[in-house]
Amino acid sequence: MHKHIVRLLTLIAVVAVVAASARYLARQDTFFQYGHYRGASVAQIAAKLPKHQGSATCEQCHKEIYAEWVGGIHRKATKDNAIQGVVIKSGPGCEVCHTPAGNHPSKEPMPLSTEDQVTTITHKWENHPVNAPGRKLLRAPEDMRLLCANCHEKIPGRPLRGKVAGEGVPVQAVTDVVGIHGVPQIVIEGHGGDEICTNCHNPHSPRINFAAVPRPPSDPNTGKLIPVSAFKSGDANAGKAVAANCGACHGVNGLSVNPEWPNLAGQHADYLVRALNAFKAGARKNDMMSPMATGLSDADMRNVAAYFASASCKSTAADKVKADLGKTKAETAGCAACHSSGGLNRAGIAGVSGAQAWPNLAGQNAAYLTVALKSFRDGSRNHAVMSSVAKTLGDADIENLSAYYASASCK
Amino acid sequence: MNKLPREEKMTTQDINTEKEASRMTRRNFLGLLGKGAACAGAAAGAGGALASAGGGAANALGGVGPTFQQEPEQYAEARKNPPKIPNYNWTEHKWAFGVDSNRCIGCLRCVEACKMENSVQMDRNHTRTWVERYTYLEGSDHALVDSIHDLKNVVPASKETRFKFDNRYKNAKVAKSFFVPKLCNQCEKPSCVQVCPTGATYKTPDGPVLIDTKYCIGCQYCVQACPYGARSLNLVRGTAEKCNWCYHRITKGLNPACVEVCPSGTRIFGDRMDPESPISLFLRNNRVNVLNPDMGNMPNVFSAGIDKEVI
Repeated sequence: MHKHIVRLLTLIAVVAVVAASARYLARQDTFFQYGHYRGASVAQIAAKLPKHQGSATCEQCHKEIYAEWVGGIHRKATKDNAIQGVVIKSGPGCEVCHTPAGNHPSKEPMPLSTEDQVTTITHKWENHPVNAPGRKLLRAPEDMRLLCANCHEKIPGRPLRGKVAGEGVPVQAVTDVVGIHGVPQIVIEGHGGDEICTNCHNPHSPRINFAAVPRPPSDPNTGKLIPVSAFKSGDANAGKAVAANCGACHGVNGLSVNPEWPNLAGQHADYLVRALNAFKAGARKNDMMSPMATGLSDADMRNVAAYFASASCKSTAADKVKADLGKTKAETAGCAACHSSGGLNRAGIAGVSGAQAWPNLAGQNAAYLTVALKSFRDGSRNHAVMSSVAKTLGDADIENLSAYYASASCK
Repeated sequence: MNKLPREEKMTTQDINTEKEASRMTRRNFLGLLGKGAACAGAAAGAGGALASAGGGAANALGGVGPTFQQEPEQYAEARKNPPKIPNYNWTEHKWAFGVDSNRCIGCLRCVEACKMENSVQMDRNHTRTWVERYTYLEGSDHALVDSIHDLKNVVPASKETRFKFDNRYKNAKVAKSFFVPKLCNQCEKPSCVQVCPTGATYKTPDGPVLIDTKYCIGCQYCVQACPYGARSLNLVRGTAEKCNWCYHRITKGLNPACVEVCPSGTRIFGDRMDPESPISLFLRNNRVNVLNPDMGNMPNVFSAGIDKEVI
C-alpha cells in the first residue's frame, strides 16, 4: 500500500476516534433527551423569576392608592369585558404606568437569570435598567404628560368609538361615550395649556366630575363649540390709559386701597381678561365691577390686563400662626395642585398658578381671598373646581388659607 | 434571444410536429413532474396553513405530539420524564396567542413591559415584540408603515418612557390607519430551528420555540431564516433574541408580560387544550388569519382585523 494512502487512512481513523470520543465526552447528558437540544435548558429557562407581579401584589402595602384605583375609571376599564364570548382582562393596572415591581420593596438587584448570565468572548454583560438596585417605581412628574399621551393623545389609528376632546366637543362628553374599544382621546394642543396632566387628573382615578362645569358656548343646532379665539396679549402702554379708571379702587400701581378688593399687580393677564369678560357677560356679578366691565372693549380688556400683569406685586404681612396652618391646609385641600404648580418651568412655587387662566394667589389681599372663597362656598360665584373645593372648607380654614397666600412671596 | 425558453422560438409547424409524435418526451415528462410537485407543495402549504388557523395543530393528538424534528421515542421520553418545572407538565398544554388589531391603541406598553421583563436592550432596534402602524393616505393603495424602529417614535429626553407613536400624520389626510402588534409566531414548522447549527433553539411540545443561550453561538443564521423578522441578535449577550411567550411566566400560571400590561385587551393568550380559555374563545368567535400563510411555517399567533398588506 502506498505510504500516502496509509497516512490518509490514519488521519481518517484519528478524526473518527476524536469525533466519537468528543460525542461521548463533550456532549451534555440531556442533549438528545427530547430532541436535538439540551433537555436541561427547558427547566432553566422556566426557572427565571417573573418581574411583573400584578396589581394585587401592590395592594398589600399601598392600600390607599389601590383603593383609589379600584374606585376609578382606570380600574373600571379593567373589569373583565365579555366581548363575543372572549373574556379579556384589560385596562391599565399598576405596572402599566409604573415599571414592573420585580423584587420592589428590596433595594437589592434581582438575581440574574441563566439567560442574563450569558456572556461570550466578544460580549460583556451590562446591567439592564430593570436590574438596577433600588430602582424607582414612582414616575417623574415630567414623564407624566408623555405617559398619559401614550394612550390618550389623539392620533390616527387609535380605535375611536367616542368623540374627541378639543375638536368641537366639550371634554366631559368624551368619557361618556367611549365604547369598549376606545380610550378617551385628547387633542393635546389647547387641552390643558402647558400643564402636566396630573395637575388636574389623579392618575389612579383620572376621571374628573365635570357635572358642575359651566359648559362652553355651543351652537344649539350642530352641537359644535362656538370658537373662542386664543388669548392675545395686549399692549401695556395702551392699557395705562384704561387703568386710570381702575386706579381709584385697585390703585394705579395695581395695589388696592381697600383690602377687600383684589390686588391686580403681577396677576396673569389671561385670568384678568377672563374675569373682566365674566363681569361683562354677567357670569360673575359685582355691583361695582359689572358696570365698569360693560364699558370695556375686548382690546381694552387685553391692554389693561397686560398693564396690570406687568406691574410689580407686593406681598402683605399676615398672621404667622394662621399662615402656617394655612400652608398645611393648602396641601391637604388640594389648592397647591393648581395654585402652587407654577407650570412646567416653575413647579412648586407657592401661590404661582400653573396656568395663565388661573389666578396667582401669592401676595393677594387676605380679606379679598376670604371674600372670594366664601362666595364660592355659598354659590354666589361659580367655578367647576373652586365651588366644590370651597364647600370642603370651614371658616377657620378660609382665614388660614387667605393668610398663607397673602404672605407668600409673589416674586 | 438565446435565453428565451425554447417554446417561444417554436414555429407552428414545430408544435404540430411535436403533437403528431404523440409520445411523452423526456422534456414533457420532467415538466409535468415539476408542475405536479409544485401543485402538491402548494396544496400542502396552503392546507397546513389553514389547518393551523382553523384549529388543528401539526400533529394528530389534539395539539400535543412529536414536535418539529422530534423523533417519536424522544416524544415518548418527553411524556415520561418531562423537564422538572414545579406544577407544570409540558405535554398537558398547547399555548397559542391572539392579536385583535381592532382594539390596539398603539400605546407601546407591551414593548416596554417585554423589554423590562426579559432584560432586552432598551434601544429601538432590539425588540421581542413590537407594534407597527399601517397608514393609508387618501388616494393611495399602499400603506405607510412605521414602528418604534423609526427614530421619530423614540422620545429622546425622557427618563423612563422611551417610546411613543408620534403624531406624524397630523397634517396629512389619512384614509385609514391601524396598529398591528407583532411578535414571534412560535411556528409549528420553525425555519429558525431548522437552520440552527448547534441545537440552541428548539420547538417545545407545549408551543413556544425556546433559545438555549448557553448553546447559542450568535451566528445569526436563525435571524436570517425567520420570515417574520422576529429574531435579532442581543448585542449584550451575544446570543440570538426572540419572544418565547415569557416561558418562565406561563409555566407558573401567569400571562406573558405583554398580555399582562395590555390596557385594551388586544393581546390574548391561553391554552388551546382548554376549550374555555381566552384564546380558544377568541379563535372560535373571531375570523382570524396568520401572517404570511404561504410561507408554510404554520404560525401560532392568530390575528383578527388586519389587512392583506400586513405581512
